[in-house]
Amino acid sequence: MGAPPRPVTLRPIGRAWWWPAGLFALPLLAALALALGAALDAAAWRSLLADPALWPALSLGLWVGAAATGVSLALTLWIVTHLHGTPAWVRLERWLGALLAVPHAAFAVGLALLLMPSGLLLRLIAPWAGWESPPALATVQDPFGLALIAGLVGKEVPFLLWNVAAQLRPVAQATQLRQQLQAGQAMGYPAASVWWRVLWPQLLPRLALPLLAVWAYGLSVVDMALVLGPTRPPTLAQLAWSWLLDADAAVNAQGAAASLLVTLLVAAGALVALLLARLLRAPLRARQVRGDRPATARTAAFVRPLLGGGALVYAIVLALLAFVSVASVWSFPALWPQRASFEAWSTVGGSLPVLGDTALLALAASFTGVVLAVAWMETTPPAWDRRAAPLVFAPMLIPGVLLVAGLYQVALHLRLDGSLAGLWLAHSLFSAPYALVALAPAYRGFDARYEQTARALGRSRAAFLLRIKWPMLLAPIASAAAVGFAVSVAQYLSTQFVGAGRHATVTTEALTLASGGQRTLMAAFALLQALLPALAFGGAWWVARRQARRLGTEA
Amino acid sequence: MTPSPIRRRLLAAGALAPWLPAWTSANAAADPAAWAATLRAARGQTVYFNAWAGSERVNAYLQWVAGEVATRHGIKLEHVKLGDTAELVKRVRAEKQAGRNQDGSADMGWINGENFLAMKREGLLFGPFAESLPNFALVDVAGKPTTRIDFSEPVEGFEAAWGMAQFTFYGDGKRVPRPPKSLAELLDFAKQNPGRFSYPKPPNFHGTTFLKQVLIETAPDRKPFYAPAPADPGALLAPLWRTLDALHPLLWRQGKQFPASNTVMRQMLADGELFITLTFNPNEAANEIAAKRLPESVVSWQHAGGTIGNTHFLAIPFNARAKEGAQVVIDFLQSPLAQARKADIRHWGDPTVLAVDKLPAADKALFTQATAPGTVAQAAPVLPEPHASWVEVIEREWARRHGQ
Repeated sequence: MGAPPRPVTLRPIGRAWWWPAGLFALPLLAALALALGAALDAAAWRSLLADPALWPALSLGLWVGAAATGVSLALTLWIVTHLHGTPAWVRLERWLGALLAVPHAAFAVGLALLLMPSGLLLRLIAPWAGWESPPALATVQDPFGLALIAGLVGKEVPFLLWNVAAQLRPVAQATQLRQQLQAGQAMGYPAASVWWRVLWPQLLPRLALPLLAVWAYGLSVVDMALVLGPTRPPTLAQLAWSWLLDADAAVNAQGAAASLLVTLLVAAGALVALLLARLLRAPLRARQVRGDRPATARTAAFVRPLLGGGALVYAIVLALLAFVSVASVWSFPALWPQRASFEAWSTVGGSLPVLGDTALLALAASFTGVVLAVAWMETTPPAWDRRAAPLVFAPMLIPGVLLVAGLYQVALHLRLDGSLAGLWLAHSLFSAPYALVALAPAYRGFDARYEQTARALGRSRAAFLLRIKWPMLLAPIASAAAVGFAVSVAQYLSTQFVGAGRHATVTTEALTLASGGQRTLMAAFALLQALLPALAFGGAWWVARRQARRLGTEA
Repeated sequence: MTPSPIRRRLLAAGALAPWLPAWTSANAAADPAAWAATLRAARGQTVYFNAWAGSERVNAYLQWVAGEVATRHGIKLEHVKLGDTAELVKRVRAEKQAGRNQDGSADMGWINGENFLAMKREGLLFGPFAESLPNFALVDVAGKPTTRIDFSEPVEGFEAAWGMAQFTFYGDGKRVPRPPKSLAELLDFAKQNPGRFSYPKPPNFHGTTFLKQVLIETAPDRKPFYAPAPADPGALLAPLWRTLDALHPLLWRQGKQFPASNTVMRQMLADGELFITLTFNPNEAANEIAAKRLPESVVSWQHAGGTIGNTHFLAIPFNARAKEGAQVVIDFLQSPLAQARKADIRHWGDPTVLAVDKLPAADKALFTQATAPGTVAQAAPVLPEPHASWVEVIEREWARRHGQ
């Protein structure tokens, strides 16, 4: 901090890229080092490896993560292949933000209300089946984790679709896509064949990071697993979580080791996927250039019913949450509650003042996250961009508990704990990588000729950025801001620890009250938690639509 | 298979206990000048009270307390809402590791059991202070011995008793017309209603307590369980495992899965999936009925031979900024006024730690005997917790037999 910083000129090559990199990386590196230090305790690893609960939990966790990722990817490929370019795709794109805004935990609770033995589905059947009490069926928390996988797929497919949409939205990509589709169809290939042979091989590598995020989430998810997952054994992530929450420092250390193990599994899975992709490249290429013209698969007819079903599940999940927030006693097999109460909503009303604080903090964090992401994209040399990627994505891939523990240490040493500045820093660090992931496709896809033209016409770089590039990228910037906003709103552990519990947000209010297990309250707060991100995604969608109208690029 | 470090420390403490200096209870309590100084220092302080916030009634009670201590003592009380009390332990531990020996983020906390054990062992608590508070004299240390022994760990003035708890069952009277008042009756109930009872998976606190209840209730001789567990406790535990082997096939999902917590079980009861559940708060069902979250037909009961009881406490972290303010708040929380309101089923329904029958008539009158639907009709005797070393033994053996 000695010499005065020299003025930052935004040039692609130079030292300026140290700024975003440093701002982002220093606290993160410190947090990582501290977190890893805690997780590398030899005694903790010994007790972890000797724990009989480890191996069953590990296999279950791997199965759930792999199945959720595989099914989500397959559904995404299938939906995009058969839906892109139709009016239904445009409608779907419009709703994706709303689907993303539904918090994972809220979706899990709503899905459980639908599926569980005392849930809506079985109540509908009860009169015919003659059930007076919920049947002894493991429709949720089943030993194979199927309900958990279903919940994960329900949340991850919209996320992957949203990422595909982000890849395809930039004008250059959209045009190229259209041309390749037309060319392929002119040669007699059905559109689906063009997707499989030409488009997906180009797009899939660019979906690697979102897929990695899905895989990491599937392996490390705790909140959904608590509602939908089995308890005996639980998943490894749940086990690690319960150990990390223990008051005993030795048990905590074992939990930190287990969290690190989860991270290693995430990395190992990513490596296996890379190897598989490399091995499969040659046979796949042979298939791509085989030249046959297969008929469109009959499964195409199922895409719309499936999407309709998915939309219906989301609608029912949200409706059930709203319903149980007032249905305070709702015994099986009645379809109508025995007792109703608006008490949960009056408690929510009492917590409304924190809504403003939450929004302000999230605005600050998402603004910082987007500024960091834009600065990174503008100033980082491409080689560094690639090399630094693992660090950038660390906050997405490392279990939040570990990272928060490290970040909290940093805040303690800087005396930032309990302060708003510390909270802002922590939330920004978690928001930035998500903003970067959301922004990167559009930014990398930006046509360099615009800049050449502007510079040839004598415009300064600053004028080019302010008058041409950023306005053109306004839609992806807005959607990156929405993602960063949603990430900030969802923070619990970082808010509680770095903020020393003194700064309440919608999420801390929701989760502390949820520890009492009152479903009316959980449901009401889940809807409140979904409100802010839904507004943010709605805003981003509105910006994109206005932009599209102005540029006349899309219907 | 060695005991985990925490439990080993506990055993060591048990062995060392005779040599620990007896904490002097009367030093400052008998010193009104010292207390007056504390009251003076407390005025104007902000006290960050870190307390589990999963109950709106508790939160509302703390709001009332904040108003009272503001007008009475000029203290600003802030409820720092926690989802899990271990968050407090970890925060104070991290502060100590970071060298933050003063100006800590927490001024007082609501703790007991393993959280207290961890904080006391690691020197994370301020004290001893509890027995020098003026209202300590009113605490029923003779009638309620758990006010001085927290889960077999001597309190030694490092936390102040706040409320009482006793293991209690509840269920819908329509489904459970004759509540089972013993383990044998519970087994009969499960035979007639298979799949309608369960207990949270140990080491969940309520699940482990259920195991302790079975342990004590099935033992032909209880004496060994109030002493450290021997190296080979096999024969002593045989009745426990025999009972569980008989019970498990009759439990929810044939005992192959267990609910995660008793709050999950409460919801399953409300939905009709379970018929009987368990709690440590004898007034939980009454509270939930009042909040319209359980039907009014729900009844609570305890096993006639007695159920396990304990106490929850208030403590001050070693690095609290407002130690005086925290002590004044804690003393207020132990006052007959605050204890009576807390015990009142209309506000919270948490049994008092005071010896009500020894209070002056005016204070005694504060403790109105309001009843509400769902309260325990016939209170059973309190059984003390088994010696803490048994917890490790039964949790480990349970995990081996039923855990994976």
